[in-house]
Amino acid sequence: MNAAESIFFVAQVWATIGAVVATAFLLFGIDRIDEDARGAYIFRPLLVPGILLIWPLVLWRWWVLERDLDNWRNRHAPPRRAHLFIAVMFVVAIPLIIAVSWSLRQEWQADFEPVKISLLHGSAGQGDAAA
Amino acid sequence: MAEKDTPYFVGFLPIPAGLKLFLLVVSLSLITGFAAGGILVGISQDDPGQAGFRFDHGRQTVTGVFESHPYPMLHITMGSEHLPTGKTIMVSGQGKTNIMRGRSDELDGKIVEISGVIVQRGDLKMLQIAGGRRGLKPTEEDGVVPVAEDLGTWRVKGEICDGKCLAGAMNPGRGIAHKACANLCLIGEIPPVFVSTKPIEGEEYFLIAGPDGKEMTQDTYNYVGQFVEAETRIERRGNLLVMRMDPAKMQVTP
Repeated sequence: MNAAESIFFVAQVWATIGAVVATAFLLFGIDRIDEDARGAYIFRPLLVPGILLIWPLVLWRWWVLERDLDNWRNRHAPPRRAHLFIAVMFVVAIPLIIAVSWSLRQEWQADFEPVKISLLHGSAGQGDAAA
Repeated sequence: MAEKDTPYFVGFLPIPAGLKLFLLVVSLSLITGFAAGGILVGISQDDPGQAGFRFDHGRQTVTGVFESHPYPMLHITMGSEHLPTGKTIMVSGQGKTNIMRGRSDELDGKIVEISGVIVQRGDLKMLQIAGGRRGLKPTEEDGVVPVAEDLGTWRVKGEICDGKCLAGAMNPGRGIAHKACANLCLIGEIPPVFVSTKPIEGEEYFLIAGPDGKEMTQDTYNYVGQFVEAETRIERRGNLLVMRMDPAKMQVTP
């Protein structure tokens, strides 16, 4: 298995686990942790793509709410404190990433002429340029 | 400023006096910034050229000698208006798949009839065929696979692409997303194609095989979607040129 196949395999495994989590959460879990969702079904398929991607967060929040460990007053405090820092980082990082990617772009060597280095497989070099 | 005097924006109420200038500056900055960004990204891209599915040609049905390796191709013995007799054409399945899934190598060397839609970029043509017998009808009749003609070993520069997107199923791109997309197609065993900086024996596009003449080797995937220099043996199969690429004799160019 090469690097590309390995990445593809990991993505497949991640999405498969996400599908199992989405099935369990949307059929059973959401009714247990969110009373507003009880009896409401049409919106649930809309959550499937998100759960496929962030299923560990869904499992963690399900566990916290199920065990009644949630402190809702502090729930958004850490992300809110980080907003300014993250905003500044984005302002710096996005132009930097674009600039670095442009500077690292390869050049298409359009003028390069293919060179025949042996007439037949395994024979001596000839050095002929392509016609 | 006391908290009760802090201007507060509510979308459906008049804009507070203290926020008008700020709102104007932010709005103009966003509009001009995104427009400039869009123009910059657009002009930095290569022209993808003319390529795509030839639905205007309609479904093409041709008969010929099937060759399974390195990737499915057909040496046409009974052509159609747009796929003449004598041409060798690469064949792909729907989406990012090869046609051999669920089919046996016993098709190799048999006379088959295939039917599908041409994907074309210049001289490069690939036929995307439908699944099942609608796309490929095998016969028990044996055909004659053309003998490969050795054209020698060459030093070449260019890019390894997946042949179907290059031919026009998608537009060529640059960078890691382009590489990932191409590798996804090649994992699905779409025929890989090398694009040379200049023509060799009149051809710019080459089907890629491994050093043994079979499928492209695993290590070659690392070079897909990047500009590379390689020493490669080239051979002619029918009227299709095939590069036997060895990743040990390949390097990424600056």
